[in-house]
Amino acid sequence: MSVTTAGEPRSRRRRRLSSRGDRVTLGLFVGLPTFFHVLLVWLPAIATILLSFTFWTGINFSDITWAGFDNYDNIFFSTPAFYDALRNNAIWLGWFFLIATPLGVLLAYQIDREIRGHRFYQSAYYIPVVLSLAVTGIIWNFMLRPDGFVNGLLGRDIDNAVSFFGNYDINIYVIMVMASWRHIGYIMLLYLAGLKAVDPALREAAAIDGATEWETFRKVVLPTMRPVNIIIVVITMIESLRAFDMVYVIYGTSAGLPILGILVFQNIAGEGASMKGAAYAVILFVLSIGPIIAYLRQQFRQDVS
Amino acid sequence: MGDMDRSVLTSQGFRPNRRQFLIGAAGVLGAGALMSSCGGSSSLSFGARTVDDGPTRQLKGLISAYEAASGNTVVYNATESNAFQNNLSQYLQGTPDDCFQWMAGYRMQFFAEQGLLTDISDVWDEIGDQFNDSYKIASTGLDGKQYFVPQSWYPWGLHFRKSMLAELGIDPDGIYNWDDFMGMLDGMKSKGLIGFAAGDKGGWEAMGTFDILNARINGYQYHVDLMAGREQWTDARTREVFTYWEQLVPYMNDNVLDLEWDGAMQLLLQRKAGAMLMGSWFGGNFLEQSQEDYDDLWIIPFPEINPEHARDTIDAPIDGFCVAANGENSDGGKDLIKFAGSKEGMQAMLDTGEPMTSANKNQDTSSYDAFQKQQLAVMEEAKYITQFLDRDTRPDFAGPVVGPAIQQWFRDPSSVDGILESLQEQWDALPPL
Repeated sequence: MSVTTAGEPRSRRRRRLSSRGDRVTLGLFVGLPTFFHVLLVWLPAIATILLSFTFWTGINFSDITWAGFDNYDNIFFSTPAFYDALRNNAIWLGWFFLIATPLGVLLAYQIDREIRGHRFYQSAYYIPVVLSLAVTGIIWNFMLRPDGFVNGLLGRDIDNAVSFFGNYDINIYVIMVMASWRHIGYIMLLYLAGLKAVDPALREAAAIDGATEWETFRKVVLPTMRPVNIIIVVITMIESLRAFDMVYVIYGTSAGLPILGILVFQNIAGEGASMKGAAYAVILFVLSIGPIIAYLRQQFRQDVS
Repeated sequence: MGDMDRSVLTSQGFRPNRRQFLIGAAGVLGAGALMSSCGGSSSLSFGARTVDDGPTRQLKGLISAYEAASGNTVVYNATESNAFQNNLSQYLQGTPDDCFQWMAGYRMQFFAEQGLLTDISDVWDEIGDQFNDSYKIASTGLDGKQYFVPQSWYPWGLHFRKSMLAELGIDPDGIYNWDDFMGMLDGMKSKGLIGFAAGDKGGWEAMGTFDILNARINGYQYHVDLMAGREQWTDARTREVFTYWEQLVPYMNDNVLDLEWDGAMQLLLQRKAGAMLMGSWFGGNFLEQSQEDYDDLWIIPFPEINPEHARDTIDAPIDGFCVAANGENSDGGKDLIKFAGSKEGMQAMLDTGEPMTSANKNQDTSSYDAFQKQQLAVMEEAKYITQFLDRDTRPDFAGPVVGPAIQQWFRDPSSVDGILESLQEQWDALPPL
C-alpha cells in the first residue's frame, strides 16, 4: 500500500488530505493487530529461541543461566528419542502427502462430478472435520484400546487383546489411519470449494477437444486450482509437523509414540521444566517454517515470471 | 479440640478483619452478590488433585469436618491428577488455592526451593509429635523447614487374591524369597494364567518394579545413590536388576505396553493374573466390584533376593498437603493443613469408609480392615522407605528419560546394555541444578 510510485501525485495528495479521523482509524486498524501479533506471537517465539540457549526451571528469572548450545548438543547427541520422533514425524508427513491428501483430492473430484449419493459422501467425510483432534483421539481410543469396542467385537479380553497402541512396530500406522480419518475430509472440503470455482466451460472445452478424464484433471483443472494447491501443500505440511493432540490423548507424555510435539511438551510441562523443551520447539519451528518458506518463494517466483 | 479453636482465633487475629473489610468494601461498590462470611470465620480454598469418586468423597469428608470444627468456609476445587501435575508450576505462580494436595519428597522440595510453598514449621511444632520421624523427613525441604503435612501412604508390594493362591495350595506367608515367588508364578502359568500382571503404557508404572528389584538385589543405599547420580547406570549391579526382571517377562501378559496401571489391575480383578506389583491405592476399585473381592485382596512384601538386604526396603509414597505461598489466605491454608494432619482430620477421612492408611501415628487403627492392617504389617517389616523412582530422582530425568528407557526395554529385553549406556549418557547430559 505504501509503495506508491512517483507517477501518482494525485492519489498521494488525496491520501494526505484524508481527515485526521481517517488516519486514526487506519492507525488503529493496522496498529492494534500488529501490536497484539507482535506481543502474543513474536515475543514468545523470540523468547523461546533465546531460552533454548539457557538452563532454567521456568520459575524464577534469577535462576536462568547461559547454556550455549548444550541443550541442542544434548538433543542431537544424547537423546535417542529425538531420532525416533523425527522418524515418526517423517512417516506422518510422507503418509499425508502420498496417501491422505491425494485421497482427499480424489474424493473432492468425485463429489464435484456429482456421482450418485455424493451428498451423503460429502457429509460422511466432512463430519470428522468438525471434531477437534483431541476428540478424534478419544473416539479412536475408545474403539481400539485393549478393553475397547473393536477388541470386544473380536471377542478378545484384555489379556489377549489385539495391541493397537502398544505394538511399537505398527502403532504409528494406527495413528496415521486415525489422523487420516480427519485429514481426508479436511482436504476434501478445501478442494471441493476450489473445484466449485472452476469454470465448467473449461472442462467442456477439454472434453470437446477429446481429452480424457485424467488429462482434463491434470492439464486443465489442476493448473486452474493453483492457489488452492498451495494452501493444501502448506496445510498438509503444518498438520504433519505440529501433530500433538491425538497422540497426547492416547499416550500422555509417555514415550509410546515419540513425536516432536510431544517431546516439547514432555520437557516443558510438569515439575521442573527444562529448556531442552524450548530447544525442541525451536527445532520444530525451523523444520516447519523452512520448507514452507522455500515452497512459497518458489511458487511466487513462478507467478511473477 | 478446644486447643485448636483457640489457635484458630490467635493465628488469624488480624487477617479475617481485613478480609471482611475488603468484602464489605466490595459490597459497597456494588458487587453485592459476594457472600459475606460472618463471625470470626474466614473463607479459603482447597485444591484437590483428583476427580475420582472415592478420593473425592474422602476429601469432602475432611473439608466438611473442618468447616464444622472451624466455622470457616472452604471452596473445593478439583483437577484431574495428570493435568494438575503438569500445570503445577503455572498454578503455583498464578492464583493457587490456599491449601492443595501434593506429594512428599523431591517433588515437594523442588517447589519449596523455588519459594512457591509456605513454610509450615509452626504447624509441625503443634502436630509434629503425631508423626514418625520418617514422615517428618519426607515433609522437610532442603532448607530444613517443613512444607508438607502427610495424609496417607500406600506400600508398593506384591498384590494377589488369597483365593487364587489357595487353589494352588500356596500359603501367602510361604512366599518369602525369589524361589518361592518363582514357584508361585510357575503354578499360575501351569493353570494357564498370567503370573505377573504388568502395565507400562503410562511410562511410570514399571518404575516400581525397577525400584524394588534394585533395592532387593543391591540394597537401599545403592538405590538411593543411583537415583542421586552417585552410582552408574552402566554398573554391573544395575545390569543385574534387568537380569532378574527378564526372568519375570515370560510370566507377564504380552501387552504390557498397551495397559496402564488400571489395565494390570483389571487382570487381577478378573482373575486372569496371579500377582501384581503395585501400590495399595486401588483397594477401592476392588470394593466397588464387591465386598467379597475386596476381602480376597492381599499384599505381601516383594520377595527377598539377596539375603544381605532381606526385605528391608519398600516404596511407600506419601501423599499429603501443602500451603501455597501465593494463596490469598495462607493462614487459613495453614489452619486447614493442621486439621488435615491431626487425628480428627484423618478420622473424618476414614469415616467416609474409603480405604486409606493414615499417616498419623496416633490413629486408632482398630477400625482398619484386614487388608489395611496387612499394609501396616508390610510397612513395618521395612527398615528403609523410598518414595518412588519419579519422586526420588530429578523430574527432568525420571519422566522424559527413565520412563521411555524402560518401555524400550520391554520391547526388546536383549537391548539392555545399549539402554543402560544411553541412560547414563542422558544423566551426564543433564543441566546442572
